[in-house]
This record gives sequence, structure tokens and C-alpha cells, in this order.
Amino acid sequence: MRFLIVDDSTTMRRIIINTLNKVGYQDCAEASNGREGMERLAAGGADMVITDWNMPEMSGIDFIRAIRATPALKDLPVLMVTTNAAKDDIVEALKAGINSYVVKPFTPETIKEKIEGMLRS
Amino acid sequence: MSQITEDLLQPLIAATEEVFETMVFRKVGSKTPIFGEALRPTSNVVGTVGFTGERCGLVAFYSTTETAREIAGAMLGMPAADVNGEMPDAIGEVTNMIAGGFRLKLAEKGETLAISIPSVTIGSDFYTKYASDVQRILCPFRMDENEICVELILTRN
Repeated sequence: MRFLIVDDSTTMRRIIINTLNKVGYQDCAEASNGREGMERLAAGGADMVITDWNMPEMSGIDFIRAIRATPALKDLPVLMVTTNAAKDDIVEALKAGINSYVVKPFTPETIKEKIEGMLRS
Repeated sequence: MSQITEDLLQPLIAATEEVFETMVFRKVGSKTPIFGEALRPTSNVVGTVGFTGERCGLVAFYSTTETAREIAGAMLGMPAADVNGEMPDAIGEVTNMIAGGFRLKLAEKGETLAISIPSVTIGSDFYTKYASDVQRILCPFRMDENEICVELILTRN
């Protein structure tokens, strides 16, 4: 299972990778914004994307829209991990095309449950 | 005119406790909040996130450099002594998550706020001055042997 972690914070990328390692997923690539994320996906692909919302150059929402507009990526599972957790935020992210949503701060159990739920559906 | 009352203070304290327990893997214990322009603790690291909406203001995080390194090390899974360039980003994330948690708890009560990206100031012998037309409350927390503080700064209009 290959993950692509997209977040402008190196700390948050490291935390997410440590969390994934803890729950049994070892293969993780990183990108610091949506544009870099698209480049990574074009170059090598991933089985699941975990992305932040607020990022420079290309936000998480624009990144997800770009993924859904790319025929080869349109079914790629995307999990958003963000502090934007108001009802309107979640509606906007769902409209953009996320599969699931985790609010920061999070526990490893929450991440594991969300990933497993996405893999089941 | 906005006032800092329990309905704002409790979400801020709860958000801080949640962030430290789940992302820093440390229990923090809240101490008695300090209203107004009381003497501020010595801090070399200050993270801030602004918010606007029905109320406007700032959430600020304060710690010493040593404590900030310890927090960053705990978040990243590395010894505090090995932390260097990662610390500002880690403190920005801590401040962002506290402000985000505060925002979410107010949203659950029907109040909508937008928050800014975090900024972090690091140095010594500096003083953060806010406009006079603000109300402030400083919430100190004990983290092991160290103290951290989270402040809510609210514009009066």
C-alpha cells in the first residue's frame, strides 16, 4: 500500500508518516503542496493520498479537484487531514471529492479506522 | 462588545489539553487563568493564529526555547536534543491545532470563525504589544516540570 502525504508542514508530514508506520503502513512518499502532489502522482503514483487543506501554491481543495479531473486518478482514495472541521468545511471538501476526513488533532486509531473504512468501500 | 467569559475560556483550555494529549503525547494541567495585563511569563517562542467572524482576535502560544524543543521532539518522535530547525514548524502546528480546536468547539455552539495561518516568533528580550482595545486572558499549563501558556486576545469591537 503506497501513500502520498501532502502537507506544507514538515512536522505534520512526519507525524502522519510515524502514525502510518505505527498502524502498519510503511511505504510513504511526501509532497509539500498540491502542485508537488500532482507531480508525484504523475511520476510514480500512490494507492492513497492523505492531504492537508491549507497549503501554498495549490491548496488541498484544488489538489483534490485536480485529482478528480484526471481520468487516471479519478478513483484514487483521498483522505483529508485538517483543522478545518466546521460543517461547511466538510461539505466543501466532500463536494471537491474527498473520500474521508480526519480532524487534527487525531489518534493513530482514528487514522487506521478511516483508512480501513476507505479500503472497504 | 465582546467579552471573554467561560464560554470562550473552556473551549480554549479543552482544545489545548486535546492537542497535547493526542499529538505531543503529554498531559498538561491547566492552572488559574490570568485576566488582563498581568506580568507575562518569560517566553522565547510565541506562536499566533488570528481569527475573525462574530468575534475577532488571536490565539497565542508561549513557551521557552527548551520547552518548545521538547514539544517538537515529542511530536516528531526524536530526542529534544536533536531538534533544531524543526521547532518553529512544530510550534506553528501546535498553535494551529489549538486555534482549530477552539474554532471547532465554537462552531458546535453555532458560532462561525475563520482562522489565519500560524506565525511563530523566536528570540529573546522581546515583548508582544497588542492594541489597547483588546481583552486578554492568559491560561498557564503545567507540562511535566515546564510551563506553557495559551492566551486568548479578543478585540472589544
